[in-house]
Amino acid sequence: MFQVRNDEPQYAFLNDESIKDTNCYGKPIQTVDDASELHGKTLNINLDSAVGENPNRYKQHGFHFTADNCIGCHACEAACSEKNDNPAHIAFRSVGYVEGGTYPDFKRLNISMACNHCDDPVCLKGCPTRAYTKFAEYGAVLQDPDICFGCGYCTWVCPYNAPQLDPVKGQVSKCNMCVDRLEVGLKPACVSACLGNALNFGVIENAPENREQAKLEIPGFPRTDITNPNIRFQQTHDMPNEMTRTDSMAVKYHKNIKSGVFEPVVDKKKGLKRNWNLNKLRSREDPLVIFTLVSQAVIGAFLFMFLGDLAGFEVVQAMVASPVYLPVIFIMLGLEGIALFLSTMHLGKPLRFYRAFNNLKYSPVSREVAGIAVFFNSLGVHFLASLVYSEMGGGLFVQQVAEFFAYIAALSGPVAIYFMHKIYRIEARPFWNHWQVLTAFYGNMLSLGSLITAVFFIPVFIYNGQPVIELVKLLAVTALLGLVVEAIGHYFHAKHLNVKGREGSVSYYEQVTTFGKTNLFRYALLLANILVVSVFVFITELNLLSAVVSIVLVLSVLISSIISRAMFYVMVVPTTMPGAFFWKNKGFEEHARETGLARTVQAGIIADVH
Amino acid sequence: MLFGRNKKNPIKIADKGIVEWKYTTCGYCSTGCSIEVGINDEGQAVSSRGVGSADVNRGKLCIKGIFEHELFKTEGRGKKPLVRNSTIEAYQETEWDTALDGMAEKIKTIQEKHGRDAFAIVSTGQILTEEFYTLGKLTRGAIGTNNYDGNTTLCMASAVSGYKRSFGSDGPPGCYEDFEKTDCLIAFGSNLPEQHPVIYWRLKEAMEKRKFPLIVVDPRVTMLAQFADMHLAINPGTDVVLLNSLAHVIIDENLADMDYIEKNTNGMEEFTAIVEDYDPVSAAKICGIDEDTIRHVARLYAKAGQAMSIWTMGINQSTHGSDGVVGINNLNLITGNIGKEGGTSLSITGQSNAMGTREWSSCSGLPGYRVLENADHRQEIADYWGIDPEFLPKQRGLAQTDIFPAIETGQIKGLWLVATNPMTSMPNTARIRKTLEKLDFLVIQDAYEDVETVQYAHMYLPAAIWAEKDGCFTNTERRVNRVTNVARPYADSKPDLWIFSHLARRFENGKKMQFSDNAEDMFEEMKALSKGEERNLDISGMSYDKIEENRGLQWPCREGDEKGAQRLYSDGKFPHSDGKAKIIPLPFIDNNERPDAEYPFWLNSGRVVEHFHTRTRTGKIGNQNKFSPTPYMEMNPDSAAELGIEHQSYVRCVSRRGDAVVMVQLTQRIPRDMVFIPFHFHDCVNRLTLGLLDPYSRQPAFKQNAVRLELVDQKEAAQRNVEAREY
Repeated sequence: MFQVRNDEPQYAFLNDESIKDTNCYGKPIQTVDDASELHGKTLNINLDSAVGENPNRYKQHGFHFTADNCIGCHACEAACSEKNDNPAHIAFRSVGYVEGGTYPDFKRLNISMACNHCDDPVCLKGCPTRAYTKFAEYGAVLQDPDICFGCGYCTWVCPYNAPQLDPVKGQVSKCNMCVDRLEVGLKPACVSACLGNALNFGVIENAPENREQAKLEIPGFPRTDITNPNIRFQQTHDMPNEMTRTDSMAVKYHKNIKSGVFEPVVDKKKGLKRNWNLNKLRSREDPLVIFTLVSQAVIGAFLFMFLGDLAGFEVVQAMVASPVYLPVIFIMLGLEGIALFLSTMHLGKPLRFYRAFNNLKYSPVSREVAGIAVFFNSLGVHFLASLVYSEMGGGLFVQQVAEFFAYIAALSGPVAIYFMHKIYRIEARPFWNHWQVLTAFYGNMLSLGSLITAVFFIPVFIYNGQPVIELVKLLAVTALLGLVVEAIGHYFHAKHLNVKGREGSVSYYEQVTTFGKTNLFRYALLLANILVVSVFVFITELNLLSAVVSIVLVLSVLISSIISRAMFYVMVVPTTMPGAFFWKNKGFEEHARETGLARTVQAGIIADVH
Repeated sequence: MLFGRNKKNPIKIADKGIVEWKYTTCGYCSTGCSIEVGINDEGQAVSSRGVGSADVNRGKLCIKGIFEHELFKTEGRGKKPLVRNSTIEAYQETEWDTALDGMAEKIKTIQEKHGRDAFAIVSTGQILTEEFYTLGKLTRGAIGTNNYDGNTTLCMASAVSGYKRSFGSDGPPGCYEDFEKTDCLIAFGSNLPEQHPVIYWRLKEAMEKRKFPLIVVDPRVTMLAQFADMHLAINPGTDVVLLNSLAHVIIDENLADMDYIEKNTNGMEEFTAIVEDYDPVSAAKICGIDEDTIRHVARLYAKAGQAMSIWTMGINQSTHGSDGVVGINNLNLITGNIGKEGGTSLSITGQSNAMGTREWSSCSGLPGYRVLENADHRQEIADYWGIDPEFLPKQRGLAQTDIFPAIETGQIKGLWLVATNPMTSMPNTARIRKTLEKLDFLVIQDAYEDVETVQYAHMYLPAAIWAEKDGCFTNTERRVNRVTNVARPYADSKPDLWIFSHLARRFENGKKMQFSDNAEDMFEEMKALSKGEERNLDISGMSYDKIEENRGLQWPCREGDEKGAQRLYSDGKFPHSDGKAKIIPLPFIDNNERPDAEYPFWLNSGRVVEHFHTRTRTGKIGNQNKFSPTPYMEMNPDSAAELGIEHQSYVRCVSRRGDAVVMVQLTQRIPRDMVFIPFHFHDCVNRLTLGLLDPYSRQPAFKQNAVRLELVDQKEAAQRNVEAREY
């Protein structure tokens, strides 16, 4: 058990005199009833089998933050990092600030934030490995780095930036509520260290001594309806109507005069100039750009062949029957294999890849991985069985196996893409949380699927002297459908972002400024591609010109897809906490990496994250 | 609610395996927090925590204290003494005996050739009181140079000088408990949340228990200013005008405590005549605080049952620093707020042991607040040390800020720097570089061999740091607390005490005098020298064990006393010869370097909470340094827009002294005609500062300088910024 000192100051002890029944979300504060089998069990902290005697052990606890009082002295962050032995680049708790007004009528509001041990922990639901547990004890949401494989998905879904992905260790860790201290009746280390009398802790909904509010919002704190966080605030001092952030995020907070609540709006920090910034398209998620595009292309190509064959298009039946079919399937398997390898290596701990299936019940990541795995393996079995059947003269059974797995692949492919899209439908990332993701993914499935089919088969058909116009037309129709679906998605997405406000409109601002020229370029490419593909729909004969145009078209579709997908990853603006000028400021982190400031360990910025 | 996860894995929480907690006192600022350092079974210091039963910090620590155990393994520590004949050669490692022989030889040669005072010594506010005493004994009694000072000239000299002028002696008369008793508090140029966060917490605790008005005088909207009941956004360098005007209103409206003034002070008449000129209407035009506010604050302060003032560098680091302190003392004397519970004039000190050097280092005189100018004091000390009193100078020599110009013009040929880094901390870096180049012999004694000044040195002595040593610190409220041997000195570094006492044996007088490597021996000497009914600085009732038991004892703590006294001058008896305090008239002459057409911005400077002084320590601890890993400059967004300067871009600041490239942080916390740069960073703000000296304290005006801003190529600026510092 944690050692309580003989001279432990009174302020360090938990102090909940009365406890409410339900929290402000209408849920019981008692985590499990007295008869529950979860009662009276040890937390097994560092293999210590003792059971804490805290009388409120089965009550949801949470932080209380008096924003009026925080002086931004970093004592809470320091106490946390000291206790948890965290290196400089990792912090379970961080202090950022918003500020407003005009000198000398100026106000700064510091916000100290760690994990909010939410009622509805999206991290727990999102984590494919089931590294997260919400404990009956204190309602603590704890994460086990030994289970985590470092995909970082929890860092995407959390609206508060609580889980910390360590690029050095390749795993996530986060605030553990200091449950070891709670077990002996002590408040968490950060609370005990607070020098502004701002941070406090106790059973949720309880305002600490000398405090009267336990409200849910302060300027700069993200919305609470996503996860129902267990944090309460007091903030009674009036703030200017507009509070800005010092970090590079183009967000500021504007007071809704009616409700008095501060809402995020775009802060046009970088003006309105359109830029290319092609180098900024690269990110940690580069492997995912490749993985998603390749998977969609491979699934699209297979579906084209499978459904075309099924629907009785002669030209497709000729494809499937041709000796090129199996080599093409083999190449597709190879492409998908490389894509899977890249996405696995993108994990912090690639050797733990098998844990991806652990959370099929809640995690779209688990479901996507399962979907892709079924598709990939079915396609593999289909290939092998077909090979055995055609080359070694296997019997009817082998043929049926091949056919059966073709059906499974054709079914699981689109399902996998559906779950792939679900991964990005994250409330804390409004830019992604739109049906455009689905149109983009299925659109690319059709366009890129047709594209690789065309690349593999049309030259072979021409070489063999087989009639090819019908195939070209069929592929063109499919690609056209894909491109149009993608374009419609973009149109409605941009409109949605522009109107909806909050962090989504900030992404839109990035889209039209930081990547303004790139954005116009990809739209122009997409439109041009649609026009040119439309011409191919009505083509009657192939000549040198159409050959040259088709090569350009293939490249153009490929480039526009890659740019679009890269932009998809780099433009997302999460609903995170405001940072400070250096710490938790993305703009400064980038600058430090570019200039070499990050080369010293004590800068707290990992020099290379790719 | 629990998502069906009934099977639980064991929880892993970092366990540092601490087997023992060792008591010590924090070595950063002078709040004087008691710390326990956690030691694991390998004997490594792995954790720090505030001592719960210590009255000063009551279990709390600031960010610096929380990571203080990491100091023991910071980069850049010195391992062996280094020597070289000239600064164009590379350093060679050597043994201590060789180094100290060489050092003594060099000092003697310089003194023989150019006179005893041609070798100067500048020390610090960072080492232990016993070490200060020993260095003083060595300097005054054995080496015999009169050019000996501490870097406290850069921070607390004005407070010392002001206290001496008003009360007849140094020594802050109040204590932290006064927060709990006061009815009104004015903070002048003191940003507690950033500079003394634990003192801020004590103030906050007091205010939560019993709210009283808090008034903050500061040109920036600091967190303390924002939280204050009234923020007086004063024009830089005009505090004396505000103070005179407050006094004007108090006298004019008959709010002064005439009874107290009559009984305990001198000079009220002359004072009244001078403040006559500082009516709020005239004063408002100079200090920028409107007349109504001046009147309101004056009435509030005078009518409060008990009122107290605190101040830090906003007052001290000014050409009117000493006057500012006297002005605050005046305010408290005319309202009868000295030596009362909750009524005091409390300077919030900077370095962990700035008080120790003031009390015992003999920098500005002789040990225990004795002065060279007093023949009895010289006799007393010479007798106790066993030397000829004629060996001691009869007048104080040069202050730190006068030593450097004397090197520049050749009167001083050799310099010994102890735990101070003038390359970063002194104003006008270019001038300091030029000055250091002129030395025939420069010795650096420091825990870090990467301290910037080493590049100009001929010898480097690796010192042990903080709790690798044994002794005492004195804090802002005159509390003597114990620093104990938590870890053994790094590599072949030695405690400063060892270095002093071993060097002493190499001088003729030194052989006759008592020098010990044992801190407690030296403490006993100090105790003996502190005894005396008329002496406030009496520590004869203290012992190492008793200090630790009480988590620090305040002086005076006379022989037989259970505890020390919390306040000075409660009896109205002051150390001036007539036993009275002086109310001193302060005519204001504006000699600040003010902004003009060519240099349109005030340049202000100050601290950030995560760093200490020149970052030789805090710049190497990631969990502190990451909050400001590179220098920055606060600037008002409106004036930035006029010049086309963007947030988080680099600008070039130019003053009449030089230039600095620094990253801009736009914020409305600062006025349109001012920029603010933290002073911790090498080759930055002090390339720009003039540092005009206070006539009494010789403290430089770091906070009142003029600069202009120029746009620069961003890539080149970024590169220059990276190259400017190693850590």
